[in-house]
Amino acid sequence: MAEKKKSEKEPDITFYHPDLLEVPKNGLPYLKGYKCKKCGQLDFPKLTPCPTCWGEEFEMVPLSRRGTLYSFSDLYIGQPGLKTPYICGYIDLPENIRIFAMLKGEVNTFKCDEEVELTTGPIRMNADGLPITSYMFEKV
Amino acid sequence: MKLQRDVYIAGVGETTFGKHKMDYDELGRLAAFQAIKASNIEKPGMIGSAYVGNAHNGIVTGQTIFKDIGICGTAPIINVESACSAGAMAVHLAIKDVACGLTELSMGVGAENHTLRRKSGTAFMPAMNDIEAVHGGVMTGKYAMRATRYMYETGATIEDLALISQKNRRHATHNPHASFRGEYSIEEIINSRMVAYPLTLHQCCGVVDGAGAVVVCSRDMIKKLGIQKPVKIRGSVVTSGPYHNRPRDITGDDITEMTSSMLYEESGIGPKEVDILELHDAFTIAELLYYECMQLCEKGEGLKFLRDGQATYGGQCVVSPRGGMLSYGHPIGASGAAQIAANVKQLRGECNGYQVEPIPRVAMSHVTGGGLSGTEHAACTMHMITRDW
Repeated sequence: MAEKKKSEKEPDITFYHPDLLEVPKNGLPYLKGYKCKKCGQLDFPKLTPCPTCWGEEFEMVPLSRRGTLYSFSDLYIGQPGLKTPYICGYIDLPENIRIFAMLKGEVNTFKCDEEVELTTGPIRMNADGLPITSYMFEKV
Repeated sequence: MKLQRDVYIAGVGETTFGKHKMDYDELGRLAAFQAIKASNIEKPGMIGSAYVGNAHNGIVTGQTIFKDIGICGTAPIINVESACSAGAMAVHLAIKDVACGLTELSMGVGAENHTLRRKSGTAFMPAMNDIEAVHGGVMTGKYAMRATRYMYETGATIEDLALISQKNRRHATHNPHASFRGEYSIEEIINSRMVAYPLTLHQCCGVVDGAGAVVVCSRDMIKKLGIQKPVKIRGSVVTSGPYHNRPRDITGDDITEMTSSMLYEESGIGPKEVDILELHDAFTIAELLYYECMQLCEKGEGLKFLRDGQATYGGQCVVSPRGGMLSYGHPIGASGAAQIAANVKQLRGECNGYQVEPIPRVAMSHVTGGGLSGTEHAACTMHMITRDW
């Protein structure tokens, strides 16, 4: 009787998410927008199919690294397992796209309509207790 | 939804809202049986269908509620989930069955127990497959960002936001169903623990348990039951939130604007004719924005509407006469049904100690649902009801 192979647990992700964020070895990180080849709509995050025309082919377009902080909140009670306080905000990019992201910096320091810039950092711990890196924004 | 025939509310029920040892099924059964008795329904078998709203308490929640009171086996029971909108959506579906002639009598229930299961000190959030949730998104934060932007654009202060909690809890002073009631000073509200700047603890709805239930029926059935004070459904609208990841004005709320416009059209009743309104005041800022979204006042005049006393006794529309979610707390699957139950009792003049005078004729309710990324809310459900005697 063949011995049952012990199932090995796959390690959890430490990077979120290669389709959305590129961190070049010798360059600055950027977010990836996706332009529908059928109707031309640019979206972030990637939506398949395109919600406007159901097109299924896209061209990747690097998005602007700087945007305007539309609004934010300093969070003192957060998600289970996330250390508080942390800060979240909406960032409007010149491409007419709004990004929800964590903000790197101190509480009580952000203001609406100030310029912020893309960076990366740990957004949470994964199932193996390791930090997950993703996009964040910080003051310019 | 255009109602195909007249639909009436025969009876309603609601439990007290607060921290309960009773689980959701017992709470749901209490509210449902109250509504059944108030509708003069004397035995099982008359109920054509039942819908049950719940968000977090598990599977076959409706059947669990109804099995002990003889409804299981005699009617289809369908479970409804859309986060905070679930309870109102359950009532909507019951109305739809009667309106389409599928049943003569149906009921909608909302029931939820959070405190038996939930760890305190954490915030509600979308599911982890939501891109905003992965990045720390929580419901308090979503509303706090609305407040931050509103304050930035209008110059409103935290003290202004606190007026909403103060008003609603004052409305609830003598309402035995509410958890947080009576006189709260502005200082007490703004100096309570910071949850998500600028929202302090007393500007957030409490995490509590409760249930509400509504029995709806046809015109023939309301006569057969001998209901002396029938309440007529004038409109019942459910929408899903438009998705787009573009910059938009979050001091408005696209789904509430859309749903209320549809409700006004369907009911033929305009915003200025609404006497009382229960809305989704899960956080202070929400009520302030919704005055404008629902066209109770002009865009940009929400704060003036509040300060002028237009949202309280003697004003244009008494908003949150039961005390709202800021007083009841918000068991998310229950609130939508409980709002309608409270409105029916106001129209019938049954709210001893917290009755709006003169007795209102037109009542509206509003509850959104879910913090789905790319939408303001995943769902919105609204009802317009009037006295019909």
